[in-house]
Amino acid sequence: MQATETSLTLKDVINARHKKQRVQLCFYLFLFALVIWSVQATVIEDTDWERIGSVSEIVASVSHFFGLDIGLIPDLLAPTIETFMIACLGTLLGLVICIPAIWFGALNVTPFKPVTYPLARISMTLSRSIHEIVWALIFVSAVGLGAFAGILAIAARSLGFIAKMSAEAIENIDQKPVEAIRAMGGSNLQIMLYGILPQVLPVILGIVIFEWEINIRRSAILGLVGAGGLGLVFFRQMNTFNYPGVTTVILAIFGLILIGEVVSHYSRKALN
Amino acid sequence: MGEKALDIEQQSGSSGTGRDGIRREWSRFKYPNSLIGYGIVLGLLTFFTYSVHYLNIPAERIFGMFGRVGDVLATRYFPPDFEYIADFGYFDAVIETIQMAYLGALFGLIISVFLGWFAAYNVSPSPRYIYPVARLFTMGCRSVHEMIWTILFVTILGFGLLPGVLALTMFSIGFAGKLLAEEVESIDMGQVEAIRAMGGNHLQVFVYGVFPQVRVAFTGISIYTWDVAFRAATVVGFFGAGGMGWYLKRNVMQIETERTAAILVSIIGLVIVSEFISTWARSRVDKAK
Repeated sequence: MQATETSLTLKDVINARHKKQRVQLCFYLFLFALVIWSVQATVIEDTDWERIGSVSEIVASVSHFFGLDIGLIPDLLAPTIETFMIACLGTLLGLVICIPAIWFGALNVTPFKPVTYPLARISMTLSRSIHEIVWALIFVSAVGLGAFAGILAIAARSLGFIAKMSAEAIENIDQKPVEAIRAMGGSNLQIMLYGILPQVLPVILGIVIFEWEINIRRSAILGLVGAGGLGLVFFRQMNTFNYPGVTTVILAIFGLILIGEVVSHYSRKALN
Repeated sequence: MGEKALDIEQQSGSSGTGRDGIRREWSRFKYPNSLIGYGIVLGLLTFFTYSVHYLNIPAERIFGMFGRVGDVLATRYFPPDFEYIADFGYFDAVIETIQMAYLGALFGLIISVFLGWFAAYNVSPSPRYIYPVARLFTMGCRSVHEMIWTILFVTILGFGLLPGVLALTMFSIGFAGKLLAEEVESIDMGQVEAIRAMGGNHLQVFVYGVFPQVRVAFTGISIYTWDVAFRAATVVGFFGAGGMGWYLKRNVMQIETERTAAILVSIIGLVIVSEFISTWARSRVDKAK
């Protein structure tokens, strides 16, 4: 009696495992079919193989990029500084416009939940789902060419990340200081200033520094659509077919990002 | 803790004699730290003001600007011309974008499995030679923005989806390679050591000791990478790779603002859908852990 029961369950187990394996196999086959279909559509049909030519021609066109345009280096200093400033000011402005989004978007401090909470969440999603190039296009058409459009684009793009992470930080605070201040008769503003802000300030600063590091990368390309900085130089070098110049600009971007990464690493370490 | 309590005790009296016999005034601002803190804030403020001056930003117009942006959006970009995007050509472009993102993320993930292995200090086959090279390669892929990759590949290979796929591959390598290497660096070394002690080579160590530990995390990272790659793929076409970005570029250049608005709305909608799917799938994967 017991033996049959055991064997039955064993069979069930094996069957269940086989079924799971079959489902997995189907899933992998499906993924593989997708790969074949995508390769067929993108790589085989849509590529102009005559334009690419032979391997030696590809090597030749890649080798255009080797070498540096030394003469360009003095002209790179001002755009590099501009890119850096766009990133810094963009992050600052992003932080400023973030404050209402953080306040509305944290469940425990949002003033009127049914309206303000969804509002904040929508603005965060919108900000993150629009690419920085698209933001830059919108702002260039609104305020004209130049660094200002870049700053606005960076600010709009960084709102989502900073606000989302900071709101999560506020939702996870220790409630005791808040209760203490409330018990002492503190107003909502006082609760925020003395109960919540000291707890989340280091976290928010860490998030902002992290975002600043990413923003350097972003501001380096905003010039491609007319928002100033290194991207504009890159665009010009590309359009004049000065390929060593392109490499030089990329190295300048690389250097700037490296500086940003080092600063961000040590300042976040100092915060903790 | 005891130190700290003593410290507070010392500071709490308005004037007291400290442990070392020196009379101290209580102060809200502890001398060196507060000075450094305020110094940094002051320096940053000076820098910000100088950069506003340097970049010629009309600071007084900043707050009026939001109204102006709203105005431009309302008059030029509204109403979106949805009829323009409701045709088969655009639908094809959407499918192409999805395919491009899928392939780019897939190739990038396959390469970044190896990079994650080589660039994790604890299991790298050669911490002295391979580790720094893999690290540098991942960093290089990450530092160069996906748009620059696109432009480079378009210059080399011509217009089409292939440069887009390759650009997204580089982007995914940079994105997933770093996350994966971090994941591998935080594994339990016991199993790795057991396989090493049995005489397993580097490949066996990776396949039997490392990979089973990071499998779940890797699934999550792959889904996330696909999501991010899709977000980038919608715009990659702007610089000559195909897909929706190419439509965007054409209409921006022709100043067809209402069509542009429709394309933007469709991009935002698709990105939100993909983010929703990715969040759902990742929460399922987390549960399977």
